[in-house]
Amino acid sequence: MTTSTTDLLGKPLSEQEQEILAAYETLKKLAARDDLPPCAARNIRQALASLWQATNDLGLQFEQLYEYGV
Amino acid sequence: MAYPDFWNPKHETLPREELQQLQFLKLRRLCEWAYATTPFHKRKFDEAGFHPEQLKTLDDIRRIPFMTREDWMASLQEKPLFGDTLATDPVNAIRYHLTSGTSGRTPIRVLDGTKDWDWISEMWCYGLWGFGIRPEDSVYFAFGYGSFIGFWGAHYACEKIGALVVPGGAQTTEARIKQIVELGVTTVASTPTYALHLWQKAREMGIDLATQSKVNKVILSGEPAGSIPAVKRQLEEAWGAQCGDTAGMTEIGTIMIFECSHHSGGTHIIEDHFIEEVLDATTSEPVGYEELGERVVTSFGRGFIPLIRYRTRDMVMKVPASTCSCGRTWDLYSGGIRGRWDDMKLIRGTNVYPSAVEAIIREYAAIDEFQIYFWRKDNIQDEIDIKLEIKPGLENSWSDLQIKLAKDLAQAHEGLRFNVVRMDHGSLPRFELKARRLVDARPIAQY
Repeated sequence: MTTSTTDLLGKPLSEQEQEILAAYETLKKLAARDDLPPCAARNIRQALASLWQATNDLGLQFEQLYEYGV
Repeated sequence: MAYPDFWNPKHETLPREELQQLQFLKLRRLCEWAYATTPFHKRKFDEAGFHPEQLKTLDDIRRIPFMTREDWMASLQEKPLFGDTLATDPVNAIRYHLTSGTSGRTPIRVLDGTKDWDWISEMWCYGLWGFGIRPEDSVYFAFGYGSFIGFWGAHYACEKIGALVVPGGAQTTEARIKQIVELGVTTVASTPTYALHLWQKAREMGIDLATQSKVNKVILSGEPAGSIPAVKRQLEEAWGAQCGDTAGMTEIGTIMIFECSHHSGGTHIIEDHFIEEVLDATTSEPVGYEELGERVVTSFGRGFIPLIRYRTRDMVMKVPASTCSCGRTWDLYSGGIRGRWDDMKLIRGTNVYPSAVEAIIREYAAIDEFQIYFWRKDNIQDEIDIKLEIKPGLENSWSDLQIKLAKDLAQAHEGLRFNVVRMDHGSLPRFELKARRLVDARPIAQY
């Protein structure tokens, strides 16, 4: 998993942005697993949807998540 | 506790050149996504000879064909329920909503995935935070919570902000007023018409909301009246509260403009999530600041049904960000949504297309002539009368017809009440050429 070091405009990420983006990427990785119990699988998707907002608002990513069912 | 003024300080104060760079990047990716996943857009793009690779600068947006309500409706009719507009499998959806009114017999239906639905509330967060909603607030939603999208997003936005949410739901106006006062809510979300109705009803109950409630903010949406100075003044005096206008549409699922706490007389466009073009409604050429034009929206939110260059027929006047003193770099619509370029009417938050009303009326063979009459009751509440004449010899059908027609019209308009009124035969005007069966007797808004 490679996490970008710049935002969509090419500006270097702040320390807090790096942490937010890393959390988002971790959730994506977890959402891709098919061995989680429903309580984990569904709540991870909820959390991923929330982190999508934060990372999208901050211009850290702009992508779709339907492949994860989100 | 001191909070930042902006929900997203990074983008709400982004220099405009960078904002446009961001919009361009998102536009290109959105078009690539739509072309690859959505038959509707692939067909439209191919027919217009457009391919996302042709987007080299933001100005190239003009190469993209328009999406119209008519295109969308045609797609829905050809392939019910959602046409060929979906970008992903409906199994990914968690939410279904539909437009508040319709230009035909079928409303526009929409689906949202988990992140789309969360994005809908995120847009409201920009607006509500900008207007001044904070975790300490308690927000009352005078809203019916049906399949019309209305304030759903605002409800979840307030939860996200950390405010206390009080869902008004299906209650009488009197019960709602009692809750507003008893619970000491600080904020009420409502259409402008209903906010005035609440105040009027409270007066009848002997309650002065300005002094006997703790409401200091009223969030308005669903009708242009929220930005009409005279209506706003009336509401602010009635409630003893600041009023903030917002506007959205089911087609995008949320709001795209909001009035901030600096109350400049305009509504900021959420420009990191939308491109809002203002075009001449006839020539489709861009118009400049301070000129009236038609809103054409591209949304970077709901990926389930990509919305690209959608012609809204809304009448707006864009002004530069510097018009407002809040510090946002986002342009505004002076006076919010000022009206329509087509014949659609907004009645108590519901879209009413006279042509659709006429189509329903025409299904009744006993009706000889009719008139659709819009008027304002007590200078507050918009009403629709369907004045009609019964064909001679069929007078006995009147009582059944009155009930059934009112029911049919309400069902096609999210329960909106239509007053079906019988007129003496021969009393309504007849037309030899172009018929004018629509009369809008409501006062004209002054900005």
